[in-house]
Amino acid sequence: MISAASKKRLARALDFIALTAPAVIVILVFVELPFLMSVAYSFTKWNGLDKVPQFIGLANYRELFTDDPDMAHAFVFTIAFTVLMVVLTNVVAMLLAVVLAGGIKGRNALRAAFYVPNIISLIIIGYVWRFIFSKGFDSFLDFTHAGVFGLSWLGDGRLAFVSVLAVSVWQSIGFYLVIYIAGLQTVPRDVIEASLLDGAGSATRLWRITLPMIMPSVTVCVFYSLSNALKSFDVIFSLTSGGPGTATTSIALDIYKTAFGASRFGYGSAKSVLLFLLILTVTLFQVTAFKRREVEA
Amino acid sequence: MRRVLSGFFTGAMFLLAALYLYPLFLVAINSLKTFAEITANVVALPSRPTLDNFRNAFALMQYPSLFANTLAATAIGTSGVVLLSSAAGYKLSRTKTRYSWLVLVLCIAPMMIPFQSFMIALVKVSRFLRLTKSVYGLGVIYWGLGVPLSLFMYHGFVKTVPRELDECALIDGSSSLRTFFAVIFPVLKPVTVSVIVLNAMWMWNDFLLPLLVLSGEKRSQTLQLAAYNFFGQYKIEWHYAMAGVLLTITPAVIFYLALQKHIIEGMVAGAVKG
Repeated sequence: MISAASKKRLARALDFIALTAPAVIVILVFVELPFLMSVAYSFTKWNGLDKVPQFIGLANYRELFTDDPDMAHAFVFTIAFTVLMVVLTNVVAMLLAVVLAGGIKGRNALRAAFYVPNIISLIIIGYVWRFIFSKGFDSFLDFTHAGVFGLSWLGDGRLAFVSVLAVSVWQSIGFYLVIYIAGLQTVPRDVIEASLLDGAGSATRLWRITLPMIMPSVTVCVFYSLSNALKSFDVIFSLTSGGPGTATTSIALDIYKTAFGASRFGYGSAKSVLLFLLILTVTLFQVTAFKRREVEA
Repeated sequence: MRRVLSGFFTGAMFLLAALYLYPLFLVAINSLKTFAEITANVVALPSRPTLDNFRNAFALMQYPSLFANTLAATAIGTSGVVLLSSAAGYKLSRTKTRYSWLVLVLCIAPMMIPFQSFMIALVKVSRFLRLTKSVYGLGVIYWGLGVPLSLFMYHGFVKTVPRELDECALIDGSSSLRTFFAVIFPVLKPVTVSVIVLNAMWMWNDFLLPLLVLSGEKRSQTLQLAAYNFFGQYKIEWHYAMAGVLLTITPAVIFYLALQKHIIEGMVAGAVKG
């Protein structure tokens, strides 16, 4: 004989399971299980064809840290790229947002215009710019005779870095712009207007008054720009394929090449664990540091 | 003085915006040119605009089937994410026990795991479940990837929905699943709109997952994947490629223009909640 109380408890538990289990299952199967498997694979040697990956302990990690110039280069590239991305996207997006939130005419049209690159897939963006850098720049050179258009923007390692960075900034600004505008809308309009068309002291006002007021937006935008830059893949894949050589190969692209190009799935998994730890550490540190400033402000 | 300055300022901003979109303008005008004309000059307007490139790219890419494939993956993915995350987000927000808290953590922790750090094993799991090589399978894989953030958004919103609403419905004697879809789900509409927009845009434009689970499959390709292959195949035929670019981005642009307000609100909601 089941008591009414326990019957009710059972019903409640069944109810809980009915509503939450489907979500829990798909997350476990498609994210958490693969993630744990990747961690396990990182201690193995596995070419994807063998039935059973071969356990090799920490050998992958040893190779990763001591014997892989490509990975070292990808790491340096990714860090340099990330630092510049975070600074450029946030500074430019914030300045634009201040202008657009300051009661300028046609601000909705302007916001929509800057947002357009953000709705186009990154793979297309990379391709469009490949066209601009090759064909487009040829024509610009004919017209202007300016030397910049004659340079090999995708063929030279250093210039390719600048190209990848510029295209990524161009593509992503709209996203951050929209968040900053939303943040600025909580700040009284006249404060922003005053900091715009006031000549002397406007920069100070922006720094001292507006910025602290939108600190929550800054935290969010820096977080996204950080984690997106650290895992950037698509634009590079279609713009330079990581080249010339390995000049613009990011960690994410290097993981892809190691696993699906060279069929070293165990080693690729070790790199992916490293990427996870890198992003986790950096973003946790950033959010903690920025939240503290929010409270003070 | 202030007026003149602000007029000048507005003009400068519009000029800047035009310059910002100039690369896309170049794509548009060059898609209407012949091959010879592109080779001669990219900047000039087409002397005799032609839609031949579109006709050719449309046929070469087999556009209608690509469109249908991408739509299928996006629709399956988005609708699944909405159903699973709204139900779970609601229940987890209403239940306050130690276990429900644990389940919540389990559900939203994946937001911190970058896709590239589990993609290798994800391909293996998907292959085991026979979900690769089909756009329907792709849609199903998106459930797992999309639910965490969407669930978190629902979870936050449900807190603002008065509890009396579920209690009234429960007294009626209907089960909680029925209550949810009949009474609660309609109230969550603002989040649902954000969740749909956020997921649909991402799935439509996604490249890496389709590349991993569909590459080599001639018959089940998505638009982005096919566009990438198309560009690789017609490296020198820029006139086809430019038309291909426009054909690929048009659906997203129309979606954006039609739902601009919702898209921008959805992006902000997703970003700030996440």
